[in-house]
Amino acid sequence: MLPFMIELKPGLAIAEQVIFAVKKAVVGGQMKPGAPFPSVRALSQELKINPNTAHKITAALVAEGVLVTTPAVGSLVAERGETDRKARAELLGADLERLAVDAKKLGLTLDEVQDGFAVQWRKLSRK
Amino acid sequence: MNIIETTGLAGNYWTTEFSQGWRTEVVHDVTLAVPAGSVFALLGANGAGKTTTIKLMMNLLAPTQGEARVLGVDSRQLGPREYSKIGYISENQKLPDWMSVRQLLDYCRPFYPTWDAALEKKLLAQFDLPPARKLKQLSRGMRMKARLLSSLAYRPTLLVLDEPFSGLDPLVRDEFVRGVLEVSELGDWSVFISSHDIEEVERLCDWIGVLDIGRMQFVESTESLLGRFRRIEISLAGGAARLGALPQDWLEPEQQGERVRFIASRYERDATERACCEQFPAAAVQAFPMTLREIYVVLARANRSKAKGAAA
Repeated sequence: MLPFMIELKPGLAIAEQVIFAVKKAVVGGQMKPGAPFPSVRALSQELKINPNTAHKITAALVAEGVLVTTPAVGSLVAERGETDRKARAELLGADLERLAVDAKKLGLTLDEVQDGFAVQWRKLSRK
Repeated sequence: MNIIETTGLAGNYWTTEFSQGWRTEVVHDVTLAVPAGSVFALLGANGAGKTTTIKLMMNLLAPTQGEARVLGVDSRQLGPREYSKIGYISENQKLPDWMSVRQLLDYCRPFYPTWDAALEKKLLAQFDLPPARKLKQLSRGMRMKARLLSSLAYRPTLLVLDEPFSGLDPLVRDEFVRGVLEVSELGDWSVFISSHDIEEVERLCDWIGVLDIGRMQFVESTESLLGRFRRIEISLAGGAARLGALPQDWLEPEQQGERVRFIASRYERDATERACCEQFPAAAVQAFPMTLREIYVVLARANRSKAKGAAA
């Protein structure tokens, strides 16, 4: 079982989808600093992807400082850094873009969108 | 290094038709290269020549022109040293039906110096194959798993799979993919697979080659192919407009009232959006990624209409 949630969508670069899912899990707190990250082999077998792709994913996450590799243990989630707030906001980028396009097509104003969003936000805060 | 390399490969399919002279050339000019350590998928319509191409690579058929090199050796010179590193699986392979699964494995084992008995045991359990049952009593899926097991157990450097998923139910397909990944070694593991099952291929393959009537239409990395195709949906701002002359790489344009749709085959975010704005000012543009299956169908349709156009 993988320590992060992902549903691979066909048509989009696999590596990007996985990297995004891992970052989301780390920034969202589902993966804690110091937690072990699956080996390249495990990643490839769990997701049924090319091991080369799995390797690329791990290498990219290490390069971006999301994971650290230790010789004996393997890959671990890195300690949290200062850029988190900005990184977290950036993760929503694609979703926000889609929302903006849809809202414009429906002819909504910025205020209407913000009001609608506020309703949803408050619903979650109540739980 | 390329683990497989063909140059201008041509070969025949042997038929039982006397009127055709017992053979017909189905592979005319196939040039492709599979870098070592990569997974290459050969896609193509039925009858495009995929199986014949593979048989030419494996020296089951002699080329009439051109050459194929596998593991650095001319296909005509392939011998025990190379074959012991190649796992070749095809539905057309005859199995010794009278043997049981156990007997098949006992028979194959001595041929391969790298046979891994522990892996054999693991895969036997993983594939849920009944060791004592005769091969002729196994279902289609079980037979393919038996072939796969007997080819994976010696950890081949090169796996050649000819339509491995054909007719397999989803569970068996899943087991098959897991089995193939089981022997994957970073760098020292290459796979050549001809398949129609594009979903499986999309996740595993680094390279896609499309074979069309015996010739390679193109060879491209999966990443590049998925990156340059997008389904574009446009909502026109000022009502319906007439579709004028569109760029050549915009395929299958359609229009219905205020909505326009086409397939961008050379998609680049900024460039394509700019071109859309020029054609359709003040319109809302959305770009959707396409699956490999969708891309393949678009290309196949384009080929067919090109062929019809040429014939006309």
